[in-house]
Amino acid sequence: MSHRRPVRFLLAAAAFLAVLLPGVPAWAHAQLVAAAPTRDATLTTAPTEVTLTFNEQLNPDFTTIVLSDAARQRLAASAPQVSGPTGTIRLSTPPTNGDYTVAYRVVSTDGHTVQGSYEFTVADPSRPAPVASAPIAEPTAPPTPADGLPAGAFIALGAVGVALAGTAAYFTLAGRRRGSPPESR
Amino acid sequence: MTSRRHLLTGAAAAGLGAAAGAGLVAAADGQAPAPAAAAASTTGTAIVPFHGPRQAGVAEDPPAHAAFVALTLPAGTDRRGLARMMRLLTDDAARLTQGVPALGDTDATLAPLPARLTVTFGFGPGLYRAAGLQPPVADLPKFRIDRLEQRWSGGDLLLQICADDPLTVAHTQRMLIKDARPFAAIRWVQQGFRRSPGVQAPEHTQRNVMGQLDGTANPRGAEIDPAVWNDDGSTTLVVRRMRAEIEKWDILSVADKENAVGRRLESGAPLSGTLEHDEPDFTKLDASGLPAMPDFSHVTRARVTDPTLKLLRRPYNYDGVPNAAGHPDAGLIFAAYQKDIARQFVPIQQRLADKDLLNEWITPIGSAVFAVPPGCAADGWIGEQALT
Repeated sequence: MSHRRPVRFLLAAAAFLAVLLPGVPAWAHAQLVAAAPTRDATLTTAPTEVTLTFNEQLNPDFTTIVLSDAARQRLAASAPQVSGPTGTIRLSTPPTNGDYTVAYRVVSTDGHTVQGSYEFTVADPSRPAPVASAPIAEPTAPPTPADGLPAGAFIALGAVGVALAGTAAYFTLAGRRRGSPPESR
Repeated sequence: MTSRRHLLTGAAAAGLGAAAGAGLVAAADGQAPAPAAAAASTTGTAIVPFHGPRQAGVAEDPPAHAAFVALTLPAGTDRRGLARMMRLLTDDAARLTQGVPALGDTDATLAPLPARLTVTFGFGPGLYRAAGLQPPVADLPKFRIDRLEQRWSGGDLLLQICADDPLTVAHTQRMLIKDARPFAAIRWVQQGFRRSPGVQAPEHTQRNVMGQLDGTANPRGAEIDPAVWNDDGSTTLVVRRMRAEIEKWDILSVADKENAVGRRLESGAPLSGTLEHDEPDFTKLDASGLPAMPDFSHVTRARVTDPTLKLLRRPYNYDGVPNAAGHPDAGLIFAAYQKDIARQFVPIQQRLADKDLLNEWITPIGSAVFAVPPGCAADGWIGEQALT
């Protein structure tokens, strides 16, 4: 009987893979295949645009590409220009020396949302070092509250929010009860 | 909360069942009541008033079952014919909603349990044209996502029949159609459902057949009046049949579904927050700098900040017969009330049509617009302002 063991093992392995396979159709999802600037690059010249190329056509409606500095401030840039599998944002101002994060969110043709990010560094010897990572350009979005507040304040704000929501809910319900028929019919 | 009040007044008006009455007496004596019997009886006998300056069936908590019946007027219909029809249908609705058989009701035994029955009348553009009047509502512009089918679109007269019991809806639909058919032909009927009474607390946000909480951003309380009602008690209604591409939707992961909608599936919270009713924060960024609310999510695209521009969504699910391959015929009867379709509904629908990831899994296959005339007094009829 021992000669059957490899067969059993193979059958078990095949069954195992068969169970796993439908869950990992990675080939069907959009994947980043090329980027400029490249991942983890150190550039001696500041880029004027970011170009990402995927392994399938991009839908311009569902393509988001952003560039942020080390302080998580988004750099001003054009909306993504999409051409086939490639999306490009043009930067309004070339970034100063420092670390940057490219982040993207695109939708595969099968509807899956794919997102990711990578970093690169600008180190132009002819330009001054960054001034404590101050935002280079006007951010397209204001900073989130989490940026400037210590965790304690954030939790306190949350608690106040919950209390306010509770109070509002109470008054809304109470108001509805009072305002029953006929005006709410 | 209106429902609870109506529940009580309805029960009082119609008389409590013997078991429920005994339960209440027992409760007053300090003994355990009979909750099951009481609940059964009050759901069935609950009444929503019919007469008033505004039609019922709009601002109340939607009952569990609905039939939307659209009718087509034959050529040659005039204002007098319309008035005759509306007098008749108003009388039927006024009786049936109060648990009283319609005149000549062929199944009078089905009338006494109205279960919060409402009948709401809507007038399509064609009804006004037949009456020689300028229509206050216009057909929607074509949207690029539309795949409209004639059999779910248009209509001169709409009957929106809602109740917490499907037999009540069926009986009411039959009585009203019986009296309407000398005047008009059936164009389409769409039947839908929400959660049954008692399954969830009233005013809980419903889930649709795609598993999403549906109606979180609805105007609430004092927000409803300025968004929905005109001074004369009229409003407007858009009915769209949205087919859910469920077989495709099923393939998605939870995260994919949440990105398409912009809300967590489980809690309904916006992706920028933690609770269902947290205001979505479109400026919030994740650690990589991406907006927490995707630019192309349904919530991001549908968002209105001015509360007077909100829509009062009153949708019903539909779930028809699957095809031979087992693919469901399911979706949403999207019904939205607003003061002004052109000012409120159209801009939102345009933004969604231009760019909304959820469009990949929902397809509009029917569309109709109706003016909802004011309500009427006990000696009046719906439409009397326009048709006399």
